[in-house]
Amino acid sequence: MDAPEAVRMSAPPTIELAAIIAQAKAGDAEAWGGLYREFAAGIFRFCRRALPTREDAEDATMEIFVKIRERLGQYDSSRPFSSWLYKVAANHCWDLLRRRRTRQDKESDDIESLPLEHPDPSQLQQLIERRTGQEVRRALDTLGARARMALVLRYYSDMSYDEIADALGVRRAFVGVVLLRARHDLRKALAQSGAFAARGA
Amino acid sequence: MEHLDEMTCLLYLEGQFDAQRARACSDHVDACPSCRTLLRTLERESLLFARALREEEETVPARLLALPGRGVRPLAWAWAASLALAATGSYALYAGYVQPAQEKLAQAGFGAGSLFDLLLFEVAFWKGWQPMLTLLETLAFLAVCGVALALLSRLLRRWAPFAAVLVLCLAFGGLPVPTSAAEVRHAQFEVVPTDQTIKNDLIFFGQSLRINGAVDGDVIAFGNSVDVNGRVTGDLISFAQSVHVTGEIDGNIRSFSNNLTLSGRVGKNVIAFLEKWSLEPEGKIGGSLTIFAETLSLDGKIGRDLLAFAGFTNLDGSIGGGMDLRGGTLAIGPTAKIDGKALFECQSAKYKPDVSPEAKLASPLEVRIAEPHKEHAAAGAIVWKCIWTAAVFLFGVVLFFLWPKFAGDAVRSADRYGASFGLGGLVLCGLPIAAVIACVTVVGLALGLTALLTWLLVLLFAAQLIVGAWLGEKLIGRAIGTPALVGRMALGLIIIRVLAAVPFLGFWVRLAVVLWGMGALSLAAYRRFASGTPAQQAPLPA
Repeated sequence: MDAPEAVRMSAPPTIELAAIIAQAKAGDAEAWGGLYREFAAGIFRFCRRALPTREDAEDATMEIFVKIRERLGQYDSSRPFSSWLYKVAANHCWDLLRRRRTRQDKESDDIESLPLEHPDPSQLQQLIERRTGQEVRRALDTLGARARMALVLRYYSDMSYDEIADALGVRRAFVGVVLLRARHDLRKALAQSGAFAARGA
Repeated sequence: MEHLDEMTCLLYLEGQFDAQRARACSDHVDACPSCRTLLRTLERESLLFARALREEEETVPARLLALPGRGVRPLAWAWAASLALAATGSYALYAGYVQPAQEKLAQAGFGAGSLFDLLLFEVAFWKGWQPMLTLLETLAFLAVCGVALALLSRLLRRWAPFAAVLVLCLAFGGLPVPTSAAEVRHAQFEVVPTDQTIKNDLIFFGQSLRINGAVDGDVIAFGNSVDVNGRVTGDLISFAQSVHVTGEIDGNIRSFSNNLTLSGRVGKNVIAFLEKWSLEPEGKIGGSLTIFAETLSLDGKIGRDLLAFAGFTNLDGSIGGGMDLRGGTLAIGPTAKIDGKALFECQSAKYKPDVSPEAKLASPLEVRIAEPHKEHAAAGAIVWKCIWTAAVFLFGVVLFFLWPKFAGDAVRSADRYGASFGLGGLVLCGLPIAAVIACVTVVGLALGLTALLTWLLVLLFAAQLIVGAWLGEKLIGRAIGTPALVGRMALGLIIIRVLAAVPFLGFWVRLAVVLWGMGALSLAAYRRFASGTPAQQAPLPA
């Protein structure tokens, strides 16, 4: 089974891109426009996955690029540009989600403990085999902010554990716990939607 | 054989182990079919997640693709011009209205009034006075609090609530603080006997208060009747049905009552808002009298000026300064004496004053008759409306930049028409009642006054700002960022104010805007402070 292509680029910027970034840093509006055109669509899609509504994603994309323009001087050109860009985007989206967290999210704040179990693989297999991408996306929409963000950062943006820790403001050692808890939450949501669909049928 | 737990499998799958631990896991998985199956299942689950997230990419909105060529900071000159206009408007307001009002206040003995006085009394007399003073003072107050809050919040990022409380404490610290804690009495009938002296401020809540003795401080009374037969060395502040003063008050009287009778002596000034005022022949006021009353009977002596808005006025006493009287019927009797300039302004020629020839007036009574609807017809009124709009805009700029998220939430809440109108009606009627009830308790006094002030600010300004921003968004698209939202607010505000100026329709527009805006603000506030759920999560219309 081939892995889907990772959405973000992790390679250092090409010579051409590096030149555009340098020009944009120097205040060249045309270069900034070029950067925007190159990355706006990707950032919007990332925001769309991370945030609950399309309107939120539109607003967030605009706000992220305003931030990017203000902070372009802080970008270290020895690092991949898209990596930095997505880090800013992830921080912004997480900031938005965190501000509107519900009480339910707050109750699951304790990320430092998770019972260590060896689940029955056959049950898990059954759950996975019967689910479509659309069902997974719907279930994702029902998750809490941290779980949703963790899954998007890892499986959409292909971020490393260090980057996820930085974006979510948790210790690196607990990124695995956050991800596993998010997977559990998603499985639960999928199982519930499956049971609901079965009852409906 | 002990199986690997799920966490270990996940970390191994995602390449998070060092070589040694990874080898140990690999050896175990090779030997254990169950763990091997779990590992494969987790891998397939990861692929399912990745595929689900990456397939069916949404189309990018056209406005996102169209933006960059225009630049992110458009129309800087428009901003500068708007702010310059607003600043000019504010200066014109100050020079044209605030300064003269302050001079009048100073003449009436309120020149050195504290901010607390302004908030309490100027707001209460809003309809009587030109309201500019309160607007600018409040703006300055809110701006200072907002800047302090922003600075403290930045310093103490995760301690924003603490910062807010600290700022409130500092703000209230800026208000005049009594030198000692007041003596508070809750009783149906309270009498301070002749031989008793209360060496403190006295705050009374109850049915009836009678002071036969002395109070060495201020008296603040909430009750049905207040009688001062003894002596009060400070001020008398009363919220009562009837007030009788036969004794001595060395300070000021500030009263919100149904009727007040003064046959004693007041050392300083009197400001009162009531239905019936009576200054008996033996009554004396050392300073000025500023009054809003239906019936005004002045038989005693006023040391300085009289500034009054009254329906029926009967003057038989003496005024040491000038008289500026606005209202209906005026009768000046034979024993009346006015040492300064006397002015009477009425709405119609039918209210011609009746002046006795024996009355001693330093200068002839000047009578002015206000022409009906002059305000609307005059070209100056249009200029005035423009200046006023600029001032409201400036207030909006301050508000939106101080609380950008809250302003955005409130504008989004305005999308919920039914909830906004319903809640708006409830808050419009219910909040003043709740605030007055809160004022009855000492602890709730500050809260009640703050709530009333906020209610008034929303009623007069904030509601139209929120509805204006909503209208602007509907006309030129959703705003991204605070500057864009302020721009839309300016557009919507102009439209609302133009519509509000239309006869007949204007009243309904103003009412709708107040209900709608107040409801939207309340909705946003409720979500922010009560449930923590933002307005943006509410379903938006397509």
